[in-house]
Amino acid sequence: MSAVEAEMQEDAGTSAAAQTTPGLERLRLAGPLTAVTAPALRARIRQGVAEGRTRIEIDLQAVTALDAAGIAALLEARRVLEAQPSGTLALRANDVVCRALRDTGTIAAFALWTGPGM
Amino acid sequence: MISVEHQGPDAPSQSTRPRERGSVISRGTRVYLRTFTPADLDHLSAWVDDPFLERMVGSEFLQSYKHVWDKSPAFFEAVLTDPTQIVLVIEAQRGWTKPVGVVRLFNIHLLEGYAFLETIITDVRAMKRGFGVEAGKLVSYYGVDVLGLRRIEAKVYEYNVLSMNSLRRNGFRQEGILRQAGFDGERYWDLVIFGILKEEIETQRQKDKVYLPLDPPEGNGREPS
Repeated sequence: MSAVEAEMQEDAGTSAAAQTTPGLERLRLAGPLTAVTAPALRARIRQGVAEGRTRIEIDLQAVTALDAAGIAALLEARRVLEAQPSGTLALRANDVVCRALRDTGTIAAFALWTGPGM
Repeated sequence: MISVEHQGPDAPSQSTRPRERGSVISRGTRVYLRTFTPADLDHLSAWVDDPFLERMVGSEFLQSYKHVWDKSPAFFEAVLTDPTQIVLVIEAQRGWTKPVGVVRLFNIHLLEGYAFLETIITDVRAMKRGFGVEAGKLVSYYGVDVLGLRRIEAKVYEYNVLSMNSLRRNGFRQEGILRQAGFDGERYWDLVIFGILKEEIETQRQKDKVYLPLDPPEGNGREPS
Protein backbone atom coordinates (compact mmCIF):
# COMPACT_ATOMS: atom_id res chain seq x y z
CA MET A 1 0.00 0.00 0.00
CA SER A 2 1.16 3.47 -0.65
CA ALA A 3 -1.10 5.57 1.48
CA VAL A 4 -1.84 6.30 5.05
CA GLU A 5 -5.53 6.21 5.48
CA ALA A 6 -7.40 7.25 8.51
CA GLU A 7 -10.99 6.34 8.97
CA MET A 8 -13.04 8.13 11.54
CA GLN A 9 -15.96 6.40 13.14
CA GLU A 10 -18.30 7.89 15.65
CA ASP A 11 -18.89 5.87 18.75
CA ALA A 12 -21.37 3.13 17.94
CA GLY A 13 -23.59 3.82 20.87
CA THR A 14 -27.14 4.93 21.22
CA SER A 15 -27.95 8.44 20.19
CA ALA A 16 -28.32 9.32 23.84
CA ALA A 17 -24.91 7.89 24.64
CA ALA A 18 -23.45 9.70 21.70
CA GLN A 19 -24.68 12.94 23.07
CA THR A 20 -23.06 12.48 26.44
CA THR A 21 -20.01 10.44 25.57
CA PRO A 22 -17.08 12.09 23.90
CA GLY A 23 -16.55 10.88 20.35
CA LEU A 24 -14.38 7.92 19.66
CA GLU A 25 -12.03 8.13 16.72
CA ARG A 26 -10.69 5.07 15.03
CA LEU A 27 -7.79 5.47 12.66
CA ARG A 28 -6.59 2.79 10.33
CA LEU A 29 -3.13 3.31 8.93
CA ALA A 30 -1.71 1.39 6.00
CA GLY A 31 1.73 1.42 4.43
CA PRO A 32 4.86 2.94 5.91
CA LEU A 33 4.48 5.24 8.89
CA THR A 34 7.67 7.19 8.42
CA ALA A 35 9.06 10.69 8.10
CA VAL A 36 7.00 11.13 4.94
CA THR A 37 3.64 10.05 6.28
CA ALA A 38 3.86 10.80 10.01
CA PRO A 39 2.90 14.48 9.60
CA ALA A 40 -0.54 13.40 8.33
CA LEU A 41 -1.08 11.37 11.48
CA ARG A 42 -0.02 14.29 13.66
CA ALA A 43 -2.41 16.59 11.85
CA ARG A 44 -5.24 14.08 12.15
CA ILE A 45 -4.71 13.70 15.89
CA ARG A 46 -4.60 17.45 16.42
CA GLN A 47 -7.74 17.87 14.38
CA GLY A 48 -9.52 15.17 16.34
CA VAL A 49 -8.58 16.71 19.68
CA ALA A 50 -9.61 20.15 18.49
CA GLU A 51 -12.99 18.69 17.60
CA GLY A 52 -13.35 17.06 20.99
CA ARG A 53 -12.42 13.49 20.16
CA THR A 54 -10.02 12.51 22.90
CA ARG A 55 -10.45 8.74 22.76
CA ILE A 56 -8.52 7.45 19.83
CA GLU A 57 -7.77 3.95 18.69
CA ILE A 58 -5.17 3.52 15.98
CA ASP A 59 -5.12 0.34 13.97
CA LEU A 60 -1.55 -0.22 12.77
CA GLN A 61 -2.00 -3.75 11.51
CA ALA A 62 -1.47 -2.75 7.90
CA VAL A 63 1.60 -0.64 8.62
CA THR A 64 4.60 -1.96 6.71
CA ALA A 65 7.38 0.16 8.22
CA LEU A 66 7.73 2.33 11.28
CA ASP A 67 10.65 4.68 11.75
CA ALA A 68 11.63 7.14 14.46
CA ALA A 69 9.42 9.87 13.01
CA GLY A 70 6.44 7.52 13.05
CA ILE A 71 7.06 6.49 16.63
CA ALA A 72 7.54 10.13 17.59
CA ALA A 73 4.14 10.89 16.09
CA LEU A 74 2.58 8.12 18.16
CA LEU A 75 4.31 9.39 21.29
CA GLU A 76 3.06 12.89 20.60
CA ALA A 77 -0.45 11.56 20.08
CA ARG A 78 -0.29 9.86 23.44
CA ARG A 79 1.04 13.01 25.08
CA VAL A 80 -1.62 15.23 23.53
CA LEU A 81 -4.46 12.86 24.36
CA GLU A 82 -3.39 12.15 27.90
CA ALA A 83 -3.31 15.86 28.54
CA GLN A 84 -7.06 15.91 27.86
CA PRO A 85 -9.67 14.94 30.42
CA SER A 86 -10.39 11.24 29.93
CA GLY A 87 -8.15 11.22 26.88
CA THR A 88 -6.85 7.81 25.83
CA LEU A 89 -4.85 6.28 23.03
CA ALA A 90 -4.87 2.59 22.16
CA LEU A 91 -2.81 0.95 19.44
CA ARG A 92 -3.52 -2.22 17.55
CA ALA A 93 -0.09 -3.34 16.42
CA ASN A 94 1.36 -5.95 14.10
CA ASP A 95 4.79 -7.58 14.30
CA VAL A 96 6.50 -4.78 12.41
CA VAL A 97 5.16 -2.18 14.78
CA CYS A 98 5.83 -4.21 17.91
CA ARG A 99 9.41 -4.82 16.83
CA ALA A 100 10.03 -1.13 16.21
CA LEU A 101 8.49 -0.19 19.55
CA ARG A 102 10.56 -2.82 21.32
CA ASP A 103 13.77 -1.77 19.57
CA THR A 104 13.29 1.79 20.68
CA GLY A 105 12.21 0.94 24.20
CA THR A 106 8.90 2.70 23.69
CA ILE A 107 6.54 -0.26 23.74
CA ALA A 108 5.72 0.22 27.40
CA ALA A 109 4.62 3.77 26.68
CA PHE A 110 1.57 2.60 24.77
CA ALA A 111 -1.62 0.77 25.57
CA LEU A 112 -1.70 -2.03 23.04
CA TRP A 113 -5.06 -3.40 21.96
CA THR A 114 -4.90 -7.11 21.41
CA GLY A 115 -8.57 -7.94 21.30
CA PRO A 116 -10.74 -8.68 18.30
CA GLY A 117 -11.07 -6.28 15.38
CA MET A 118 -11.46 -2.63 16.06
CA MET B 1 -11.69 9.43 5.72
CA ILE B 2 -8.46 11.13 4.89
CA SER B 3 -5.97 9.89 2.40
CA VAL B 4 -2.49 11.23 2.12
CA GLU B 5 -0.42 10.55 -0.92
CA HIS B 6 2.80 8.88 -0.06
CA GLN B 7 5.53 10.41 -2.19
CA GLY B 8 8.28 8.11 -1.05
CA PRO B 9 10.21 5.52 -2.94
CA ASP B 10 7.27 3.17 -3.23
CA ALA B 11 4.89 5.84 -4.37
CA PRO B 12 2.40 4.79 -7.02
CA SER B 13 3.58 5.00 -10.59
CA GLN B 14 1.17 7.82 -11.39
CA SER B 15 3.03 10.04 -8.94
CA THR B 16 4.52 13.06 -10.70
CA ARG B 17 7.62 12.96 -8.53
CA PRO B 18 10.42 10.92 -10.09
CA ARG B 19 10.97 7.74 -8.17
CA GLU B 20 14.55 8.50 -7.28
CA ARG B 21 13.86 11.95 -5.86
CA GLY B 22 12.25 10.93 -2.58
CA SER B 23 10.24 13.36 -0.49
CA VAL B 24 11.53 16.67 0.73
CA ILE B 25 11.53 16.73 4.52
CA SER B 26 13.15 20.08 5.18
CA ARG B 27 14.19 22.97 2.99
CA GLY B 28 16.80 25.63 3.62
CA THR B 29 18.24 28.40 1.53
CA ARG B 30 21.10 26.41 0.04
CA VAL B 31 20.19 22.80 0.56
CA TYR B 32 17.17 20.68 1.18
CA LEU B 33 16.88 17.32 2.88
CA ARG B 34 14.96 14.52 1.27
CA THR B 35 14.21 10.93 2.11
CA PHE B 36 16.66 8.18 1.30
CA THR B 37 15.63 6.13 -1.75
CA PRO B 38 16.81 2.88 -3.36
CA ALA B 39 18.44 4.90 -6.13
CA ASP B 40 20.71 6.51 -3.53
CA LEU B 41 22.46 3.17 -3.06
CA ASP B 42 24.40 3.94 -6.24
CA HIS B 43 25.71 7.11 -4.62
CA LEU B 44 26.49 5.24 -1.44
CA SER B 45 28.48 2.68 -3.41
CA ALA B 46 30.75 5.43 -4.66
CA TRP B 47 30.99 7.21 -1.33
CA VAL B 48 32.00 4.15 0.66
CA ASP B 49 35.04 3.67 -1.56
CA ASP B 50 36.26 7.23 -1.09
CA PRO B 51 39.34 7.10 1.16
CA PHE B 52 39.02 10.80 1.95
CA LEU B 53 35.53 10.30 3.40
CA GLU B 54 36.68 7.22 5.22
CA ARG B 55 39.43 9.15 6.95
CA MET B 56 37.51 12.34 7.64
CA VAL B 57 34.21 10.88 8.77
CA GLY B 58 34.73 7.21 9.56
CA SER B 59 30.98 6.77 9.20
CA GLU B 60 29.52 3.62 10.68
CA PHE B 61 26.63 4.11 8.28
CA LEU B 62 28.87 3.92 5.23
CA GLN B 63 31.02 1.19 6.74
CA SER B 64 27.95 -0.88 7.46
CA TYR B 65 26.75 -0.60 3.87
CA LYS B 66 30.11 -1.73 2.57
CA HIS B 67 31.30 -4.28 5.06
CA VAL B 68 28.19 -5.62 6.79
CA TRP B 69 25.70 -5.44 3.93
CA ASP B 70 28.28 -5.93 1.16
CA LYS B 71 26.51 -3.17 -0.79
CA SER B 72 23.32 -5.22 -0.87
CA PRO B 73 20.10 -3.52 -2.05
CA ALA B 74 18.53 -4.87 1.14
CA PHE B 75 20.41 -2.12 2.97
CA PHE B 76 17.72 0.32 1.89
CA GLU B 77 14.98 -1.65 3.58
CA ALA B 78 17.13 -2.04 6.67
CA VAL B 79 17.57 1.72 6.89
CA LEU B 80 13.92 2.41 6.23
CA THR B 81 12.79 0.08 8.98
CA ASP B 82 15.43 1.05 11.51
CA PRO B 83 13.52 3.06 14.11
CA THR B 84 16.69 4.31 15.76
CA GLN B 85 17.91 6.44 12.90
CA ILE B 86 16.68 8.96 10.36
CA VAL B 87 18.73 9.13 7.17
CA LEU B 88 18.23 12.10 4.88
CA VAL B 89 19.99 12.95 1.65
CA ILE B 90 21.41 16.44 1.18
CA GLU B 91 20.59 18.07 -2.13
CA ALA B 92 21.86 21.49 -3.15
CA GLN B 93 19.11 23.86 -4.19
CA ARG B 94 20.76 24.62 -7.50
CA GLY B 95 23.81 23.84 -9.58
CA TRP B 96 24.25 20.20 -8.64
CA THR B 97 23.02 17.15 -10.46
CA LYS B 98 23.82 14.71 -7.69
CA PRO B 99 23.28 14.70 -3.95
CA VAL B 100 26.04 16.52 -2.09
CA GLY B 101 25.89 14.32 0.97
CA VAL B 102 23.91 12.60 3.62
CA VAL B 103 22.90 13.59 7.13
CA ARG B 104 21.45 11.37 9.78
CA LEU B 105 20.31 11.24 13.33
CA PHE B 106 21.19 7.90 14.83
CA ASN B 107 21.03 6.10 18.16
CA ILE B 108 17.80 8.02 18.60
CA HIS B 109 16.42 7.65 22.10
CA LEU B 110 12.89 8.97 21.78
CA LEU B 111 11.85 8.62 25.39
CA GLU B 112 15.05 10.11 26.76
CA GLY B 113 15.13 12.74 24.01
CA TYR B 114 18.65 12.47 22.67
CA ALA B 115 20.36 11.34 19.50
CA PHE B 116 23.64 11.56 17.62
CA LEU B 117 24.31 13.58 14.51
CA GLU B 118 26.40 12.68 11.50
CA THR B 119 26.76 15.03 8.54
CA ILE B 120 28.70 13.89 5.49
CA ILE B 121 29.43 16.19 2.57
CA THR B 122 30.59 13.74 -0.04
CA ASP B 123 31.72 15.98 -2.87
CA VAL B 124 34.89 17.95 -2.23
CA ARG B 125 33.58 20.71 -4.50
CA ALA B 126 30.57 21.05 -2.22
CA MET B 127 32.66 21.71 0.86
CA LYS B 128 33.12 25.15 2.39
CA ARG B 129 29.87 26.32 0.80
CA GLY B 130 27.76 26.15 3.92
CA PHE B 131 25.95 23.00 2.78
CA GLY B 132 27.04 20.94 5.76
CA VAL B 133 26.28 23.74 8.19
CA GLU B 134 22.79 24.20 6.84
CA ALA B 135 22.11 20.47 6.62
CA GLY B 136 23.16 20.08 10.24
CA LYS B 137 20.95 22.96 11.21
CA LEU B 138 17.92 21.63 9.36
CA VAL B 139 18.24 18.16 10.80
CA SER B 140 18.68 19.62 14.28
CA TYR B 141 15.41 21.52 13.86
CA TYR B 142 13.84 18.31 12.64
CA GLY B 143 15.12 16.47 15.69
CA VAL B 144 13.61 19.01 18.04
CA ASP B 145 10.36 19.65 16.20
CA VAL B 146 9.49 16.19 14.96
CA LEU B 147 11.34 13.74 17.13
CA GLY B 148 11.08 15.73 20.33
CA LEU B 149 14.80 15.67 21.00
CA ARG B 150 16.27 17.81 23.75
CA ARG B 151 19.91 17.00 23.10
CA ILE B 152 22.02 16.15 20.05
CA GLU B 153 25.57 14.90 20.18
CA ALA B 154 28.31 14.55 17.57
CA LYS B 155 31.79 13.07 17.45
CA VAL B 156 34.58 14.40 15.26
CA TYR B 157 38.12 13.27 14.60
CA GLU B 158 40.53 15.79 16.03
CA TYR B 159 41.97 16.53 12.59
CA ASN B 160 38.59 17.26 11.01
CA VAL B 161 38.65 20.97 11.67
CA LEU B 162 36.03 21.73 9.04
CA SER B 163 33.44 19.57 10.78
CA MET B 164 34.28 21.06 14.16
CA ASN B 165 33.84 24.56 12.78
CA SER B 166 30.52 23.56 11.19
CA LEU B 167 29.23 22.25 14.49
CA ARG B 168 30.30 25.37 16.31
CA ARG B 169 28.57 27.54 13.74
CA ASN B 170 25.39 25.68 14.58
CA GLY B 171 25.84 26.33 18.27
CA PHE B 172 27.30 22.99 19.31
CA ARG B 173 29.67 23.13 22.22
CA GLN B 174 32.75 21.03 22.71
CA GLU B 175 31.99 18.86 25.71
CA GLY B 176 34.93 16.56 25.92
CA ILE B 177 37.54 14.41 24.29
CA LEU B 178 37.73 10.67 23.90
CA ARG B 179 41.44 10.12 23.94
CA GLN B 180 42.79 8.00 21.09
CA ALA B 181 39.37 6.56 20.43
CA GLY B 182 39.66 6.71 16.65
CA PHE B 183 41.90 4.70 14.37
CA ASP B 184 42.54 5.69 10.77
CA GLY B 185 44.49 2.59 9.79
CA GLU B 186 47.83 4.03 10.78
CA ARG B 187 47.53 5.66 14.16
CA TYR B 188 45.11 6.52 16.90
CA TRP B 189 43.44 9.91 17.11
CA ASP B 190 41.38 11.69 19.69
CA LEU B 191 37.65 12.04 19.12
CA VAL B 192 36.16 15.38 20.07
CA ILE B 193 32.65 15.33 21.52
CA PHE B 194 30.20 18.09 20.72
CA GLY B 195 26.71 18.58 22.08
CA ILE B 196 23.81 20.96 21.84
CA LEU B 197 20.65 21.29 23.89
CA LYS B 198 17.17 22.12 22.71
CA GLU B 199 17.29 25.63 24.13
CA GLU B 200 20.55 26.28 22.32
CA ILE B 201 19.06 25.02 19.07
CA GLU B 202 16.18 27.44 19.55
CA THR B 203 18.66 30.24 20.07
CA GLN B 204 20.33 29.31 16.80
CA ARG B 205 16.97 29.17 15.07
CA GLN B 206 16.27 32.76 16.07
CA LYS B 207 19.50 33.82 14.40
CA ASP B 208 18.71 31.59 11.42
CA LYS B 209 21.53 32.73 9.27
CA VAL B 210 24.08 30.80 7.29
CA TYR B 211 27.47 32.40 7.27
CA LEU B 212 29.07 32.47 3.87
CA PRO B 213 31.75 32.28 2.78
CA LEU B 214 32.98 30.08 5.55
CA ASP B 215 36.24 30.97 7.13
CA PRO B 216 39.01 28.58 6.23
CA PRO B 217 40.05 26.23 8.99
CA GLU B 218 42.87 27.55 11.03
CA GLY B 219 45.26 25.50 13.07
CA ASN B 220 43.96 22.98 15.55
CA GLY B 221 40.20 23.36 15.83
CA ARG B 222 40.13 21.66 19.19
CA GLU B 223 39.52 23.72 22.26
CA PRO B 224 41.67 23.18 25.31
CA SER B 225 40.00 20.73 27.61
